[in-house]
Amino acid sequence: MHKEEQFTTLIKKNEGIIFKITTLYTDHRDDQKDLYQDIVYQLWKSFDSFRNEAKISTWMYRIALNTALTRLKKRKRKPHEVGIDQVILEQTENDDPQFEERLKLVYAQIQNLNDLEKGIMLLLLEGKQYVEISLITGLTPTNVATRISRIKQKLKSQILKKQ
Amino acid sequence: MDLEEIQAVWSEMSDQLKHQKKLTDKIILDMTQDRYTRKFRTISIAETFGAIICFIAALYMLFYFNTLDIWYLQVCGVLSIAFLIGLPIVTLRSLKNIQKINITEKNIKDTLISYSKAKNKVLMIQRLGIYLSFIFMMTCLPVFSKLMKGKDIFQQGTFPLWYVVIMGVFIALFARWGYACYKKTTNSAEALLKELELD
Repeated sequence: MHKEEQFTTLIKKNEGIIFKITTLYTDHRDDQKDLYQDIVYQLWKSFDSFRNEAKISTWMYRIALNTALTRLKKRKRKPHEVGIDQVILEQTENDDPQFEERLKLVYAQIQNLNDLEKGIMLLLLEGKQYVEISLITGLTPTNVATRISRIKQKLKSQILKKQ
Repeated sequence: MDLEEIQAVWSEMSDQLKHQKKLTDKIILDMTQDRYTRKFRTISIAETFGAIICFIAALYMLFYFNTLDIWYLQVCGVLSIAFLIGLPIVTLRSLKNIQKINITEKNIKDTLISYSKAKNKVLMIQRLGIYLSFIFMMTCLPVFSKLMKGKDIFQQGTFPLWYVVIMGVFIALFARWGYACYKKTTNSAEALLKELELD
């Protein structure tokens, strides 16, 4: 199989990861499309180095999160307007309005976290262990644990405020 | 909505996404085209354009350098040429270094550190450029006056004050604007780095 074929297969198989990250780190559809393209480009750029790595998900999350965070730094970002309705609807193609509503709530909760916490939260929700999260972010596993506990506290207080 | 509920919704969404394939081979390969450098293209084009103007001015000075017949005019000429050639090269190199940062090779923390270092270097060069611009403003006037009008303003005894005021204000305003543009982009990086350094 050619390199291009291997790459496209890999991306198609894991496009959900990119969708989730782009939804978390953008406020608008156009922005999301741009970030999506950036991530795919960066993955392509480092595809050769991936083939020597053991775990595909670590590689993908690392590059995708790096791209999202670097992109945020390069542009002046408006405060979150949380224009995520359209983004989520386009993403899941779900015809269950109740699920869509719950999903919007989930994204709204995560959007309230800071940029790095969002990434850690995403990895946690994706079922990543502390060691893998630390490999992706560069934080120590202890630091990851502390941050996750803080994130949980933040989420709890957000939930309490709403009640 | 508690954490468990968030996790349940998230995993349901993940399952749906697994079955939902929107991308085609063509779209993916189109995305891999080199679009990353586009972000720096505007600033690079502006800096390159500025550099070309500087090099032309430096060449002009070099070509007619023998017109500068007195030592102090020659000193001003050398300083002006050094400024016109040196600063654009250093600026373009610092921009190239930022573009060279490969965000795919390192983890988030290391990438942010590399990025921040490169940005700080760009900012330092911008600051240096501002200070040097004021010196250049003083050194280029006698040179251009001699080269273009054949006048030695040192011997005339009066230094045109209007030039110093107008150019000084212009450089100060322009430098402030330019530096603010560069600075804006570094603030969020610093905030994120500080966050990483906590604990």
